[in-house]
Amino acid sequence: MNASDSEEDCYNERTALVQAENPALPSYRPEPDPRPAGQCEYVCLSADQEADVDDEELTLKYGAKHVIMLFVPVTLCMVVVVATIKSVSFYTEKNGQQLIYTPFTEDTASVGLRLLNSVLNTIIMISVIVVMTIFLVVLYKYRCYKFIHGWLILSSLMLLFWFSFMYLGEVFKTYNVAMDYPTVGMIIWNFGAVGMICIHWKGPLQLQQAYLIVISALMALVFIKYLPEWSAWVILGAISIYDLVAVLCPKGPLRMLVETAQERNEPIFPALIYSSAMVWTVGMANPSAHSERPAQDAAPLWEGTAHSRWVGGQTSGAQVCLLYFSGGVKLGLGDFIFYSVLVGKAAATGEDWNTTLACFVAILIGLCLTLLLLAIFKKALPALPISITFGLVFYFSTDYLVRPFMDSLADHQFYI
Amino acid sequence: MNLERLPNEEKLSLCRKYYLGGFAFLPFLWLVNVVWFFREAFVKPAYTEQLQIKTYVKRSALGLLLWVAVLTTWITIFQHFRAEWGEVADYLSFTIPLGIP
Repeated sequence: MNASDSEEDCYNERTALVQAENPALPSYRPEPDPRPAGQCEYVCLSADQEADVDDEELTLKYGAKHVIMLFVPVTLCMVVVVATIKSVSFYTEKNGQQLIYTPFTEDTASVGLRLLNSVLNTIIMISVIVVMTIFLVVLYKYRCYKFIHGWLILSSLMLLFWFSFMYLGEVFKTYNVAMDYPTVGMIIWNFGAVGMICIHWKGPLQLQQAYLIVISALMALVFIKYLPEWSAWVILGAISIYDLVAVLCPKGPLRMLVETAQERNEPIFPALIYSSAMVWTVGMANPSAHSERPAQDAAPLWEGTAHSRWVGGQTSGAQVCLLYFSGGVKLGLGDFIFYSVLVGKAAATGEDWNTTLACFVAILIGLCLTLLLLAIFKKALPALPISITFGLVFYFSTDYLVRPFMDSLADHQFYI
Repeated sequence: MNLERLPNEEKLSLCRKYYLGGFAFLPFLWLVNVVWFFREAFVKPAYTEQLQIKTYVKRSALGLLLWVAVLTTWITIFQHFRAEWGEVADYLSFTIPLGIP
């Protein structure tokens, strides 16, 4: 099967870890609402307030809570991928079909040629990603929102319907279950339609998060199946370097995307980003500038301001309150996908569970470190490099050094 | 999307849209409607739109039960009689298990 183009975009722009709004303001002062309509109170934060709470403490509290908030979805995604890899053999069978993005075969006689082919595959894949990213950023800059939305809708349609149909089919075959077309049709139709509604329109937050996790897992499974062995590892390495460059360099496409979105005070497309809580972008006194998604009082930093309700009603031109509520951290879906690809490949080709667990732990450690850096630097950071580096190091060292060592120890009944 | 932060009219409108959407062969949408708006409809203290939201939630639950009944019946019939129906069953089958039934 040659996968079509529309699945590429899924991970292009998704490899960025963005801190939801800037929490660096030292403190808050609840402001009584002077307006008679007053169906709500709101929190007004002004920059010249004296810091009540120590800044360091804020940073650490912020960082720790959000590490946990991201552990759960990343773990879930990896668990789904590993469970599927271990049980459904379809995703580990190689039958020679490859994506058009990796045209060079790895079935070659010599090691050198194989290495060369995998490097060439990587170069092609990365260039495709770069081109798509730049294309997306250009479209975003020139406000071609309809085109972008159409593209995103098409790709989520494909993920939610076609890939899940394939997945379901393979699961049924593995467990030798008879299934008829009407039932399968109903299941896929329901799954897909509700998924589209939740991701692109309005739906319960947990359901939206669940769907994003599922589509990341599906995408990761497709990569695991259709990327040849060595190419996959080289691609993982190359894409972390690309992520580093794209997010941190001043002219990097992802950085430009994030900055443009922040300038315009718009949320980045919901279909590309997993957010751990709802985030209020900027609340000006003019309600029309609001993002339509209000925040939830999740962060412990803002204990006293537990109520941040919808600011409806009139504007009062004089008072421009910068309402932001960093209720969460956002992680691009591409990060989910590549983390899961790494762990999935470790599960598929590693000899036993030690390798898989080691990679899993490595990725979580990397994620912790990245979030720590995020709390320190307070700007968009690439989420792939640290985790993938640790993951690759742990995979190769566990598979080739630790495991034989443990096996010898076990052979000689030597316990340490 | 946090329901707490929405004004009541919007909650009602959302509930209605989910209810109407479920008629497109989407019992899952009705399920989401019931689960999501359950607290709004039955646990929260009364407000003007709550009565309507209650009706929508009840009807969604009813529709959901109906669909569950229909699907369960069909699945049971199919699984039981699949081997006997022969060719028709094969035509209907998405996956056919290996081995002797």
